[in-house]
Amino acid sequence: MIDPDEDLVRSAGAGDARAAEALVRRHLTKMVGVARRMLNDGAEAEDVAQEVFLRVWREAPRWKPGQAKFETWMHRVALNLCYDRLRRRREKTDPDAGVMVADSRPLASDEWLARQRAAKVQGALAALPERQRAAIALVHFDEMSNIAAAEILGISVEALESLLSRGRRALKAALADVAHDLMGGAERAP
Amino acid sequence: MTRKEETMDRERFVALLDAYGADFRRWPAEARAAAAAFAAQNADVEALLAEARGLDAVLGLVRDQGAPSGELTARILSRIPRTQRPAFDRRALFALAACAVFGVVLGYGGGLLAPTPTEDDVYFSMAFEAPSAFEDEG
Repeated sequence: MIDPDEDLVRSAGAGDARAAEALVRRHLTKMVGVARRMLNDGAEAEDVAQEVFLRVWREAPRWKPGQAKFETWMHRVALNLCYDRLRRRREKTDPDAGVMVADSRPLASDEWLARQRAAKVQGALAALPERQRAAIALVHFDEMSNIAAAEILGISVEALESLLSRGRRALKAALADVAHDLMGGAERAP
Repeated sequence: MTRKEETMDRERFVALLDAYGADFRRWPAEARAAAAAFAAQNADVEALLAEARGLDAVLGLVRDQGAPSGELTARILSRIPRTQRPAFDRRALFALAACAVFGVVLGYGGGLLAPTPTEDDVYFSMAFEAPSAFEDEG
């Protein structure tokens, strides 16, 4: 197994700040991205990404290549941090947690429509069970291979495909009107 | 290592379409070619593909989330530990060794090539060694 991060992790673990910076540049966007998909909250997602990298700095000196790809490990850490935050949200039962507040500023109608649609899609994703959401975040948005995504989630490829199917089915039902508009129905709208 | 190509039938095609959507690039690598061939030979799956494309397009609305804030990047970079001993760059080590060897060779070669001091040289070195005590007094 070839790990494209192996040299950088080894150097970062030995205190090479340039290697550590290269790891940030390479992975930060993905870490924030997966956390945003999971938490539907930009600020919380950035906190998660920061925590992931703090763990990277802590663990890099002890990293043993060959067991799992470093990126896989980072995704696992990010997802576990997200699961923790989601659990705390449920315990607090804060109804507003993770809910994107619609921007009330006046917008051009096209932009307003685009934002409304995006908010609806974000809401539907947020309503999925966590594991389905994670599977879709990894495969659909991060464009990971089925094998890599299954490894991150610690499940078989068959189980991953089951999560993806159920997730997409729920999204299809929740977003049928948006799909209809996008695929041509909008032309008939007033 | 070559991948074993997956054989495709309708049931498998529909199962993979349900899971991965209409873009075959997201499908398992070993199933892509068979899926494309199956779709080309079975026009009746076009309606299923179109439906999956619709959902893919909807999800595409939230694909672009923008780059992480510069403030976050700076915050993370500021936490890079700098207390550990820096990794020694092998190239720097090689350059240092090369300089040392070059210095030794240059010093030795320079010694061989340099003319032996004459009496005049010794005189001049004595002459400019230090300001004369008489100059101080003057």
